[in-house]
Amino acid sequence: MATLTPTLTLVSTDATNDELNFSVTDSLTVVAPYTGVAKASVSTTGANNIIQPATDGQTYYVYVKHTGVDASGSTVTTTLNIELTGDVIIGKLAAGEFMWMPVGGHSLGVQLQASSGTIVAEYAYFTKG
Amino acid sequence: MATTTATLTLSSDMLSSPINISASTNLAKATITEGLELIEMGRGTITEADGSKTAEFGLPTALGADKAAKLFFVNNSTNPEHYIDIDLHDTNIGRLYAGDWMFIPFGMNDTASEFVIEAEPSGATCPYEFALFQEPQTLVTHS
Repeated sequence: MATLTPTLTLVSTDATNDELNFSVTDSLTVVAPYTGVAKASVSTTGANNIIQPATDGQTYYVYVKHTGVDASGSTVTTTLNIELTGDVIIGKLAAGEFMWMPVGGHSLGVQLQASSGTIVAEYAYFTKG
Repeated sequence: MATTTATLTLSSDMLSSPINISASTNLAKATITEGLELIEMGRGTITEADGSKTAEFGLPTALGADKAAKLFFVNNSTNPEHYIDIDLHDTNIGRLYAGDWMFIPFGMNDTASEFVIEAEPSGATCPYEFALFQEPQTLVTHS
């Protein structure tokens, strides 16, 4: 077993009159299998871009980032769908954005789908211990 | 224009060499060029006896499919056996165990993106907190 420490910080000096400065962390026990940081050139067919295998009762912690470039390295502004296998959309990431969430309690995986062309995504998943 | 910066770091000792991942982004409207301006925060408690509930912020709105929002949600339970099931409408996404949190893009533009929570297992009580960053909504005429 190992420990994974995710930390999220949200900061703004001008969203409100009172400064927003918020930080939360967690200490997660994780086990194999996991994928560290990997890159994928994501196409418009989600089923071809499965980044996390189907769960079998376990919980995965999933990280995804839209790098803002396509397979050729050119800047893109198209959105990246985060989906459960079967084309169920969880949400859409714009260029440069990221997400962190638990996935589990069912028998579905996670796939990515570009809204058009290709998008290079960074991703990682870890299995809850 | 508001600028809110979200930064995520992941560190782990699972390998002989430490893992360190860091990502940072400004929370932007769908147009990307402007920041999200509307921030809604809150807290609540859900029990297993409550059954499946739509979260305070989870009702579909008139934001529209071409709008953006980001959602932070944490299960503040201290009982490691108590978790919150997260659903988008009828689709189960995952479980937040005690102290676990998530940060996701949130569509909130139709019924299919309704944010639904449920405390488990039997007898569970889960305090939670949330922060929703979204685009301004259209004001409505008074009744």
